Amino acid sequence: MISPNSVRYPEGDPHLSFLMAILEARSVAKVYQTEGSPVTALAGVSLKVEPGQFIALVGRSGCGKSTLLNLCGAMDFPSTGEILIDGQSTSTLTDSQLTHLRRQKVGFIFQSFQLLHTLTAIENVELPLLLAHQPNARQTAAERLRWVEMGELANRYPHQVSGGQQQRIAIARALAHNPRLLLADEPTGNLDTTTGDLVLDLLRRTATQFSVAVIMATHSVESASIVDRVVRMRDGRIGA
Amino acid sequence: MSTLRLFSRLILRPLLREPIRTALTLFAVALGVAVVVAIDLAGQAAAGSFHSSIESLTGKTDLITSSTGGLNEHLLAELSQLPYPFDIAPRIEDFASVEGKGEAVPFIGLDLIGHHIAQFDEQNPEQAAMLLAAPNPVWVGSRLRLQPGATVHLLINDVLRPYTVAGVLKPQPGEIGEQNVIVADIGLAQLVTGKTGKLDTLDVRIPAGESIEHWRQVLAANVPTSVDVEPQGARTDENRKMLSAFRWNLRVLSYIALVVGAFLIYNTISVSVVRRRNEIGVLRALGATRGFIAVGFLAEALFFALAGSAAGLVLGRLMAIGAVALIGRTVQSLYVSSEPSPIQLTFESAATGVTLGVVNSLLAALAPAVEAAYVAPVEAMARGREEYNAARRSRTIIWYALLMLAAGGVLSQLPAFHGQPLAAYLAVLLLIAGTAAAIPTIVSLFSRFATHGIQRLFGTEAMLGLRSLRASLGRTSVLTAALTTAVAMTASVGIMVGSFRETVAVWMDNQLKADFYLRPAGSSSADRHPTMAASIADRIAQLPDVAAVDRFRAYPISYQGLPATLAGGESTTSTHFLPGENASAILRAWPTGDYAVVSEPFANKHNIKVGGIVTLPLAGAKRSFKVLGIYYDYSTERGYVILARRTLLKYLPDTASSNLAVILKPGVDAAAIRQAIDNIIAGRAVLVFANSDLRRGAIEIFDRTFRITYALEAVAISVAVMGIAGALLAMVIDRRREFALLRFLGAGQPQVRAIILCEAGLLGLLSNVIGLILGSALSLILIFVINKQSFGWTFQFHWPVGMLLSALSVVYAATVLAALYPAHTALRMNPIEVIHEA
Repeated sequence: MISPNSVRYPEGDPHLSFLMAILEARSVAKVYQTEGSPVTALAGVSLKVEPGQFIALVGRSGCGKSTLLNLCGAMDFPSTGEILIDGQSTSTLTDSQLTHLRRQKVGFIFQSFQLLHTLTAIENVELPLLLAHQPNARQTAAERLRWVEMGELANRYPHQVSGGQQQRIAIARALAHNPRLLLADEPTGNLDTTTGDLVLDLLRRTATQFSVAVIMATHSVESASIVDRVVRMRDGRIGA
Repeated sequence: MSTLRLFSRLILRPLLREPIRTALTLFAVALGVAVVVAIDLAGQAAAGSFHSSIESLTGKTDLITSSTGGLNEHLLAELSQLPYPFDIAPRIEDFASVEGKGEAVPFIGLDLIGHHIAQFDEQNPEQAAMLLAAPNPVWVGSRLRLQPGATVHLLINDVLRPYTVAGVLKPQPGEIGEQNVIVADIGLAQLVTGKTGKLDTLDVRIPAGESIEHWRQVLAANVPTSVDVEPQGARTDENRKMLSAFRWNLRVLSYIALVVGAFLIYNTISVSVVRRRNEIGVLRALGATRGFIAVGFLAEALFFALAGSAAGLVLGRLMAIGAVALIGRTVQSLYVSSEPSPIQLTFESAATGVTLGVVNSLLAALAPAVEAAYVAPVEAMARGREEYNAARRSRTIIWYALLMLAAGGVLSQLPAFHGQPLAAYLAVLLLIAGTAAAIPTIVSLFSRFATHGIQRLFGTEAMLGLRSLRASLGRTSVLTAALTTAVAMTASVGIMVGSFRETVAVWMDNQLKADFYLRPAGSSSADRHPTMAASIADRIAQLPDVAAVDRFRAYPISYQGLPATLAGGESTTSTHFLPGENASAILRAWPTGDYAVVSEPFANKHNIKVGGIVTLPLAGAKRSFKVLGIYYDYSTERGYVILARRTLLKYLPDTASSNLAVILKPGVDAAAIRQAIDNIIAGRAVLVFANSDLRRGAIEIFDRTFRITYALEAVAISVAVMGIAGALLAMVIDRRREFALLRFLGAGQPQVRAIILCEAGLLGLLSNVIGLILGSALSLILIFVINKQSFGWTFQFHWPVGMLLSALSVVYAATVLAALYPAHTALRMNPIEVIHEA
């Protein structure tokens, strides 16, 4: 296994990042305009996440977990309130600036893995590096795959590996560009319990070894037991 | 009823949910069918009018007697005295230009006094006599828009004369020929056409009881051996036979658009199958049979075929108007004078168009439909596995591809079958199919070896586009095949036309050595040879600065059932004979006896070699002429038999000329000679061309004749590009999660757009390169096999680099532009919604 020290973070000593929250949501609300009445997906949510923290957003389907993740990942704008990623407010950024921000600081993991079925494992992992025009993309991708213990399956296609293996490849891809924030939307939703636990363990290690802030949306209270903090959500609010 | 309901829900509804893609595919099918229908209708119209004017004027005729250079009018009296109840009508046939301008119309001389012709019935005999007594009375067809009593100037041969419009011909229902014709009494016609004492034909109606062949033999026994006796319509059949090779080649070109459309239908149905794998699994689990599944997808193809064909019929009928104009001028220039008959969308034409469209679409859809039938109900094949299998299959299919290419090569060497280059057509089809089958392997290899280079030259987005191309091999190879086919057709026809053009240009350099050329005014045609008075040549020859005047006289003839031209010439010093022939020996012997030189098309059509004999009915007997040489000629496909002028005059003693070539002495003032010539021809309708003007005019005619082929190429390219636009749109929609994911992974909107455009650009680039290589191979077959077997011409191979570059650039640009809307669609999708789709 690759030591965490070989995964270089360009911003210096990760321990110093404890001085600033990597993510802060300040009274964030999100309202969707539909053909009928407007739908409030989030209503005044505030949240702070430090580097290295593993946070679980727990709640039923439709409580606003995914909406909050999308806002935290700079994929969408809040209707009111503010999202700051590494101190930078997303509301004031243009689309290309948001893209740049995601490239540098945010990684995504999805319930259905979302690997490109027409690319091999290593080609999937190096994709964000290529999009960011980073050099040595293949080498870096190979290192990430070895870290998630998928190095030997680098040339396999997604349909040739199991669901758990696909999710590990997806984690390698999410970490390829050394993000500071990892957002996981129901990462174990399509996995059996044993495999799901392995993936959760991997996410735990990611947060601890690389000081990456991990926010995981889940409706499973059991899967939340491995995290540092559980944030319960209901009807678009954080609460009991 | 339940079948219709299922068809509506499972097939129609999904198609209607994607109106743009469905419309693009429909239009591509419609355009392919439209082109086939348009060419068919235009060909029928161009070939359908040869006989109409004569038949409708004179009524039904059974036999026609004629002879090269005309019949002696005494023959009429001789035949009338035979103890058989023949009804014999004399006829003069020529052409006249109204006011000396525009296309020539048939000028017919009939015995209006001796013969009852319904068109010219007048109740009042005095009125009839008065009409005939008017100065140069003529009757005109209604389309000439002349009023009775008006004076009209007609150019016949080299003389423009005034005529009085005695009447307008009464149109008969269903007949069109008499609408565009001029009729005069036969005496006047003989006078103004310079055929005094001669007749062009005797039209014979036979008595009832015996067969046409019986009476033909009776007549043949009572006329000189140089007189032909043929059933009515034989000339028409000859013209149609001559045109058949031209029409067949156009038809085959039009089928290319259908072939391109077939690739696109294959792709469309394949996309349908891939998208609906889950549905197929569910249906099979619910009890649908394999046959039901296969028929369902064939029904989708049938929908496209029927709807597209219906639209194609309407579009084809409209396109036929333009096609007739283009084809008509080609027929006129290269083959025979004719006015196209009205375009008629007959049941036969419509049925042919629809049948071709339907069969083409169903055959194209067969493979994916059968594949769909064998999707296992529980098997949830990811698209990646399907594409992975497509890549694996390509390793086997390459061997079939090589086999097809080899078979195509072998077939291209086979001779014509009944005068048609059928083996060569099949060879073309096999080369196209073999190349299409090889494309997945080519794309894979290109992707493997070019990835680093592409990335270095064009960036990451281009490399990702190339990777996408390879990753979606099952689909992209079909699109590449479609565009490659269209490009190959463009390139092959372009090279063929360019080679022809260059060959003609070089030939003119060798052939056209005179300083001035003269011919009678009016429009020219391959089968019309109006004449100029002999005195013109005599007077020009007497000018002090004129070195020589070459007189040329041509007569249309029939040889072995095909139209040809018999001519007499004076000098062939500039004639380019086939390799191995001794030009100076030929030219020395040629005027000394009954010798001939023949053009290459004539020699190829009639299998004539040097030393062979050409037998022609002239001056009362069959005359044999030994062929001394075969020369290259590109002026007409009809073919020439050329005798020395003095030899021709022996048998056909008419000293008028069809055209003159004036050679000046070195260093003289050409402008002054031109002025002198103008003075000589004053008062006569004769055109004078400088050498450069003639060449320019010839090249213009050449370019005009190939406009129809350029139009067909443009249609094939349009079909391909439209199909690709639709297919790219489908691909973008199917890969929407992929593009949404790229946005999550840090791709900006410009990057996503660039990836899609690069993918289209690489598809265009590959298609262009493979298409150019395939097109070059096809052009060899076109030039050295199909053209040779169809028309008898030899071309020198020539690369029209400028034309190829510009055509391929247009194709490339169109392909990239076709990706703009799909890229726009991809960017319009909300990545958050897409990624969370079920």
